[in-house]
Amino acid sequence: MSLRLLSVDAADQGSQRCRVGPAVMSALGLRLGSPLRVSAAGGTCLCTAWPRADLAEGFLQIDLKCSSPSLLSHPPAHLSLDPDQLTPVPCLKLRGVKVTVVVQSVDFRKNTPRHLVHELVKDMLKGVYVCQRHVVNVEDFDTEIRYIVVEDTNPDSAEAGLITSKTGVEITGIQTLRHFRAQLQDQHRVPLGGLEEVSASLREMLQLPLLYSGTLSSLGVSCPRGVLLVGPPGVGKTLLVRRVVGEVGASLVVVRGPEVVGSRPGESEEMLRGVFERARAAAEEGPCVLFLDELDSLCPRRTGSSAPENRLVAQLLTLMDGMNQSDRFLIVGATNQPDSLDPALRRPGRFDREVIIGAPTLEQRKAILSVLCERMPVSPSVDLAELAQRTTGYVGADLSALCREAAMHAIRHNSQGSEEQAVAMKHFNEALKTVRPSCLRSSLGRTELPPVSWEQIGGLDEVKLKLRQSIEWPMRYPEAFHRLGLRRPRGVLLYGPPGCAKTTLVRAAASSSHCAFLSVSGADLYSPFVGDSERALAQLFRQARACTPCILFLDELDSLIGSRSGSQTPHSVQTRLLSVLLNELDGVGLKTLERRGPERILQAEGEEQCHTQQQLDFHEVCNKDVMIVAASNRPDCLDSALLRPGRLDHIIYVPPPDQQTRLAILKVCTEKMPLDADVCLEELATQTELYSGADLENLCKEAALLTLQEESMEASAIKHKYFLQSLHKMSPSLTAQQISSYQTTHR
Amino acid sequence: MSKPALLSLHQALRKGFQTLESNQKLWRSVLAECTPLMVSLGNLAEQLRALSRVQLSNTPLSAFPDLQQCLHFKLVQATDTVLGKLSEKMSSLQAARDAISNQVSGVFQVYEQNMDSLDLLTLTERSATAPSAADMMEWLQDAERHYRHQYLRRKTLLQTFRADDLSLLESAPKRWESLASPSAEDRITDTLFKVSLFMETQ
Amino acid sequence: WDEGNRKCSAVTGSARKVRDNAADWHNLMLRWDKLNDAGFAAAGRVVDLRLRQSHGEAPPPALSSAHADLQQECQELLDVLDKMAAVVMKMRRLAAWQSGLVDLERFQLGDEGRPVPLFHGWRTAQFEEASRQLLEAYGRELKLKRAVLQELAHTATSDLCMVYLSCWLHQPYTPPQARLRLEALLLETGHRPL
Repeated sequence: MSLRLLSVDAADQGSQRCRVGPAVMSALGLRLGSPLRVSAAGGTCLCTAWPRADLAEGFLQIDLKCSSPSLLSHPPAHLSLDPDQLTPVPCLKLRGVKVTVVVQSVDFRKNTPRHLVHELVKDMLKGVYVCQRHVVNVEDFDTEIRYIVVEDTNPDSAEAGLITSKTGVEITGIQTLRHFRAQLQDQHRVPLGGLEEVSASLREMLQLPLLYSGTLSSLGVSCPRGVLLVGPPGVGKTLLVRRVVGEVGASLVVVRGPEVVGSRPGESEEMLRGVFERARAAAEEGPCVLFLDELDSLCPRRTGSSAPENRLVAQLLTLMDGMNQSDRFLIVGATNQPDSLDPALRRPGRFDREVIIGAPTLEQRKAILSVLCERMPVSPSVDLAELAQRTTGYVGADLSALCREAAMHAIRHNSQGSEEQAVAMKHFNEALKTVRPSCLRSSLGRTELPPVSWEQIGGLDEVKLKLRQSIEWPMRYPEAFHRLGLRRPRGVLLYGPPGCAKTTLVRAAASSSHCAFLSVSGADLYSPFVGDSERALAQLFRQARACTPCILFLDELDSLIGSRSGSQTPHSVQTRLLSVLLNELDGVGLKTLERRGPERILQAEGEEQCHTQQQLDFHEVCNKDVMIVAASNRPDCLDSALLRPGRLDHIIYVPPPDQQTRLAILKVCTEKMPLDADVCLEELATQTELYSGADLENLCKEAALLTLQEESMEASAIKHKYFLQSLHKMSPSLTAQQISSYQTTHR
Repeated sequence: MSKPALLSLHQALRKGFQTLESNQKLWRSVLAECTPLMVSLGNLAEQLRALSRVQLSNTPLSAFPDLQQCLHFKLVQATDTVLGKLSEKMSSLQAARDAISNQVSGVFQVYEQNMDSLDLLTLTERSATAPSAADMMEWLQDAERHYRHQYLRRKTLLQTFRADDLSLLESAPKRWESLASPSAEDRITDTLFKVSLFMETQ
Repeated sequence: WDEGNRKCSAVTGSARKVRDNAADWHNLMLRWDKLNDAGFAAAGRVVDLRLRQSHGEAPPPALSSAHADLQQECQELLDVLDKMAAVVMKMRRLAAWQSGLVDLERFQLGDEGRPVPLFHGWRTAQFEEASRQLLEAYGRELKLKRAVLQELAHTATSDLCMVYLSCWLHQPYTPPQARLRLEALLLETGHRPL
């Protein structure tokens, strides 16, 4: 028979009674008021047995006066207990106990004389059954003293002991409730993936001044006071701080920037002072870290006018300068826009150290994924390395969203009848479609990219091969390039007549090499404001670098950037964009803030033991750059500086389709069309000299429409004559002269 | 079989309730004496507050340069006197509490001595004239806990009073009143009523 | 009456007079305290009426009667103060006599003063000092009370009224030593058993 757990009667609150039916009491050999231990899911608690007033069986009411700490934060949730979860315990009168007292406020801890606390604690504990490492809840007394943690008992007994008026009580320490709670919470830590390097350095920064302040001061070194964490949103700055602070054993005072900002004048400053006061008080009990999250919203760059933010910045500066060496706490700030911070904050003595966390690299993503998948039932088909490869530009938060989404898919799928309870690769594939990297969110060149396979492009085998050589191979097999001492190209220029699948080719290359793909054309960058276009281009490159490996596709490069020699106005937007582009191509625009991952050097000859691992390493080292692919149908208009080696050094001509290619294109285009038996694609291919790929696609479409027009909506096949009719109506978009001009430009 | 054991337990219970009854009266009377003291504590705090708000040099009393200081001293002294009287009252309360505590633990001692001859059935048996022994032991324990709580809370409150914390002192009468838990008091009265028949059957 | 008193009852001359003076001090201070209580009650009523008036709680027809009440209370307070002034007058006389005694002894016995103390251990000058200090305290107190009386009925701010009342009640210029000094005087002169 199981016992139903009911909540405690108000009258029993704080009585340490456990109400059970008399039959259960007799069965367990329990006397009135004799101690028993209740083991619940989350921990145990110590009670005294009393029969229920109505003597009913089958119910259980426990007053959690004395319980294990875990039960304090998570009261037993199960609604029923087994009688064998109740065990009578032998009990003796204690000679002495050692306790830690948990009080509500810092003021009480500071102002109350020790002897008084002692007196109160002794009174509170009288008549209570206790056990080592259990917590006595004294909230029912409604005083400042909230909990009493029993550290040690004399005689040393693992079972229960009764505290009488003769029991000596020794107080080993007094803590505040906040501190106590923080300690309790430390027991459930969040795992962290891929941030080992950063967390180690942050840990060192915190540990030195907090734990060895004496040593530091004896060396005459002043401790650093502030650490600034910089990184894009979602990389885990906040999580990292919480984790490291927990590891170091410091208490944490968290302030999110917007929380502090109040509406009344002076309110924000007051709140900020209060925060520092809180940190100072917490620091008296042990090392403490004051964490200012979203610092940029709190302290934006000061402007000329007397905006309220200016006063807040000034207040923060004053407070940071006012910290002296005896204040044993550190300030950690986090921001994703370090440039918008007031520069005064980043001077030595304030935030003197800066830790940069970039978007995770391949290796780091793999680590994050493995941490995330640890707690999920993942089917063995899931290849984390591949997943990591396909999630370029994803930050930690994105990856966790990805896993959640995949799990949701799995649940939805499984609820439809399947018995399997694991998250499979297909669920991840589904999730990848909905969860996009936040690095690229709101990016200019972000394009919804339906994957294009090489097979979807007819013909052009030679061009395809070249493209694979210059784009897909270096991305996918960097180790082979390295082995043969090949330098991967920095940029690729595709040129050729319009409508000959340049854009589609690049898309196919991007989807086959599994990397992020950003694409812009001239119109995207245009802006009526001076300097805006340049900034947009630079920003594009920055985002591309944040999620390498990445292909940055500049379509219609000639319209975007002109030539310096040809243009009429020397300082037009085009010329300025050109200089930005040249800068970025040469890597001048790289900022320290964009650093990602640990610096690594390739080992000359790795052992064969772990081939995939090594491969990942190669990916990591070699794919730090952005691959720039440009397309143009007027290469003669391009500035020659762009085409020098080291910039767009691979130049690939995409020719108009020849007869064979046209046939292939037609085959691809008509793949889904029901063709009549008399249709001869070969004949069409020979007749369509100077037709581009786009023209051919159009031709097929026209023929199909014509069929519907001429016959009826019920037409089931396209006849050859319709193709010929459409062909007569159309004229090729290319001219022989055009083609010869391409061939002379770069051959 | 268990008759003598139950009789001696009943005897102890009777004594316990007698002690409870007399000390409940004592407790109430002491608390009644505390109320005016608390009121005067609040008054004194109000006077101190008024003094701190008034700039005497800007009033007709500016002819008395050291008045502020002297009056403040006097007020603080008076506060101390009242606090001293209150702590005397606390010792009376403590005495009442201890008397109850001792008597209750005496009852439990008697129970422990006769534990083997008192089975649960006997203990939980109720009759027309007397509640069950288990119930009565529970009530005594509850009452004892109530007085311990009350004493501790009142004592803690008194300890927090300081002549320089005016807002706390001003609210002293209210805080003191708020500590009373009439429902628990009523329960004890109720208990005493419930056992009145049992007390008469000697 | 214990042994000390019996012994003292025999004394004559200066000692007798000093002893009687000590008893007078005691009685005067008791009378002062009684007057102070009566005065405080009256002052409290004055403040009460005054504040109620200034807050306009009384309806207009009752205003004149309230005014009359105020007048009456003030008069009562004035009477009390007059009586207190009389008490201080008597105190002054006692102190004057005490200092006269010191002068007399200096004249009779030179600067050394009396070789044997009048009672247990105090020199004559000490009696004089004790009464002078007591007089000074009550004198200042009286002055303060006069000032309070003058202002009490004309003050509408509750804080200041409160300060006036606590001035009256707590007598800031009578230090706690005053009472001790009187007790010492009573002990020395044998009114209280040693």
